[in-house]
Amino acid sequence: MFRNTREGLALVLPAAIFSTLLFLVPVGILLSEAFRPSGSWSLAGYAEFFSEPLNRTVFLRTLKLGLLVAGTAAVIGYAAAFCIVNLGPKSRGRVFGMVVLPLMISPVARTYAWIVILGRTGIVNGAITGLGLSDTPVRLLFTETAVFLGLLQLFLPLMIISLVSAMENIPRDVIPAARVLGASWLAVFFKVILPLTREGLVIGGTLVFTGALTAYITPAILGGSKVLMLETLLYQKVNVSNDFVSASVIAMILIVMSFSANLLLKRIATARS
Amino acid sequence: MKLSLSLLALSCAMGGTAMAADRTLTISVYSFAQDEYKKALYDPFEEICGCDIVVETGNSVERMAKIEANAANPVIDMAVISTQDALSLARKGLIAPLDAASLPNMAKLYDSAKDPNGDGMSVGYTYYASSIVYRSDLVQVDSWGDLLGPDLAGQVALPNITGTQGPLTLMMLGKAMGETGGLAPVISAVGEKADDIVTFYSRSSELVQLMNQQEVIAAPVGRFAWSSFADAPLPFAWAEPAEGQAGGMNVMVMTKGNGNEELAYQFMDYWLSTEVQTRIAEMLVDSPANKEVVVSDEIAANLTYGADVINALNILPAADVVDNREAWVEQWNTEVIR
Amino acid sequence: MRHLATWTILGLTLTFLIGPFIIIILAGASAGNSLAFPPEGLSLKWYLKVFTIESFRASFALSMALAVFGTLSALILGVPAAYALNRYKLPGAETVRTIVAAPIIVPGIIVGLALLRYVVVPTGVTVTLALFLAHTALVLPYAVRVVSSSMQNLRADMEEAAVLLGATRLQAFSKVVLPNIRGGVLAAFILGFVTSFNQVPVSLFLSGPGVRTLPIDMLAYMEITFDPSVAALSALLAFLSLGIVFAAERLLGFSRYV
Repeated sequence: MFRNTREGLALVLPAAIFSTLLFLVPVGILLSEAFRPSGSWSLAGYAEFFSEPLNRTVFLRTLKLGLLVAGTAAVIGYAAAFCIVNLGPKSRGRVFGMVVLPLMISPVARTYAWIVILGRTGIVNGAITGLGLSDTPVRLLFTETAVFLGLLQLFLPLMIISLVSAMENIPRDVIPAARVLGASWLAVFFKVILPLTREGLVIGGTLVFTGALTAYITPAILGGSKVLMLETLLYQKVNVSNDFVSASVIAMILIVMSFSANLLLKRIATARS
Repeated sequence: MKLSLSLLALSCAMGGTAMAADRTLTISVYSFAQDEYKKALYDPFEEICGCDIVVETGNSVERMAKIEANAANPVIDMAVISTQDALSLARKGLIAPLDAASLPNMAKLYDSAKDPNGDGMSVGYTYYASSIVYRSDLVQVDSWGDLLGPDLAGQVALPNITGTQGPLTLMMLGKAMGETGGLAPVISAVGEKADDIVTFYSRSSELVQLMNQQEVIAAPVGRFAWSSFADAPLPFAWAEPAEGQAGGMNVMVMTKGNGNEELAYQFMDYWLSTEVQTRIAEMLVDSPANKEVVVSDEIAANLTYGADVINALNILPAADVVDNREAWVEQWNTEVIR
Repeated sequence: MRHLATWTILGLTLTFLIGPFIIIILAGASAGNSLAFPPEGLSLKWYLKVFTIESFRASFALSMALAVFGTLSALILGVPAAYALNRYKLPGAETVRTIVAAPIIVPGIIVGLALLRYVVVPTGVTVTLALFLAHTALVLPYAVRVVSSSMQNLRADMEEAAVLLGATRLQAFSKVVLPNIRGGVLAAFILGFVTSFNQVPVSLFLSGPGVRTLPIDMLAYMEITFDPSVAALSALLAFLSLGIVFAAERLLGFSRYV
């Protein structure tokens, strides 16, 4: 650690000032609209928002899907990242490239692909009826399942990337050494891998959870108006009813949820180490 | 190499607006059929006025939001929108009254297009009918009421209440149910059947895809989307419901204080001319609001054309929509979306 | 045995991640008029049609320029910040981290709206400049966090040793730190590039007459037609990106760092 504070601040301040001016100030003004729905400062906007049953349902659904997507991504992500870092350099580059690839494809197009896959005449329903699991096609589109799959596919690469770049910093011989000393895989995971990759998990988890909360296209297209999420509700408030108070209430809720997730993940990660 | 190319692109993009000709007209329009509009309307007009047209496209909600955000210093000179959007812009004081003397071609329009909202702030340039498109090999649709009937349960989509088509569909459902007390009881009726409805769509292209995938086999839609169905390999039909067809109009408005009124009037009048209205109708883009337009029977069959058709349309007054939309959406969210 | 397990896990994960991409490629190669899988016959007509759509060319150039320059600016701001956050005892370091990370957490639609209402309108900056600033700010969190994470496990004593041995701070940074975080910087660049390139909600409100990013243009195109040309365009873009990753791998040995 260097102690020259002035030098450090000089390095950090440009980024901080830039973000403050372009983000915090304008967004702050917009968010403050939620606290003064009728000109004076109050919490009435929030009380009103949560008094509507639909808003509560949407809130809980968003939270549930966000957690589900982040949790599933973490499980798959650890398995995949562990496999990737143990590959030879050549195949490792190729596999990593393939993980990054979906990120390159416009989310618009990736979401539309799911319409084709999950439709009544799509591949999944073809398999279901083909295997005799059901006589009639199952409704998959415009359900929470469709939104879950779309979001998972959208954000899983972020988790894998974060975990891979964290795992590559685990010294090569640590895991074999732990195994030789008789640690079970579970123990290795919780005692060695998790503590050494916690920064990656925190980054990945935050990116995936926040991404799932604030994705607009996927819930809009795969969930439609029947599976509203906070972001699609927000869009409706802004664009249909011009209700900036509710919109900024929702924005505030989303921000609080993301921050809490970030803090919670940090807490969990530190507690285990 | 790539870097320098991108640099070039960025500088072009940044300089683009500054390099425009002296006289520029900025218009805000629906995004569909821009190639056709360019040929039939923009290019010929640029020739006549010796000016540049800058086109902003997008869906109406975004375009409206931008007009509102830029109210102090309008970027857009004229916009084409729905009658209800025109009314809400008018109530917010964002558009200017139209001067009939500057629009000589207005006299050639059907009466209902001359001043659709009765406030002198807009003029209609096209009509459209709304009915139900369905798979004629699988089902028969004779009434708006069939949408909630047993034959279509689990295979029907309705337009979302937030779009233009939503309230139109509810109005016609109400007619089929014999309801006269506004849309509230109709929304409740849809709510009871919500599980039978696959989705509430918000874009007609989305519906085209759903119908082609057989996700749904019937749905209400505006006539402007019909050509996408007519071209498809599946047997789609346009219903002639017992209650008649719903309909609507799109209008032109002038933003307030844009300082470019003269050119905007010239453009609007040109668009309303028999010549342009005929060209656009023959491309099957917009149905004419100018009653002097004459097209072949074949073309007419694909449009909302002629006094008889237009006068028979069930049009929902814009004020009803603007005044009640918030309450409708709220009730819809509680009873239908849940 | 372990080999088998490894490849089963990777195979399933990659199928899930890449499958939709294959479907998009094939759906774009359909001879029919609507997006479908399996496609109704094969043809390249939609791939060719993409190049004839004029607005796609303009919006592609804009998106490309925004992604490259937005990400570079974000790295110029972000790498020093990440370095300082890891190497200096700074008062309020946590606050700075939070401020810089904020753009990820705020829903894009709110950001776009806030920028339009409180930056573009009052100051009169052009939409293109606003887009550039917004994209820089959006990528900044990725730059700081990814570079930070790759710096975290880098031992500070090596750098201190270099300084003790007479290197200047700048030399120590460029000779010791930079080579070790190159992978992180590259990963941040690629992540930032795609984030910016595919960004939708922020750009939704930040478009003006004639100025529009590619994803917004694609959405607008899809709003009116549902032919497979958007699928074809997406596939072409993905190939382009694949080329970039491949080049990064070839020229810089990407996989050694990631």
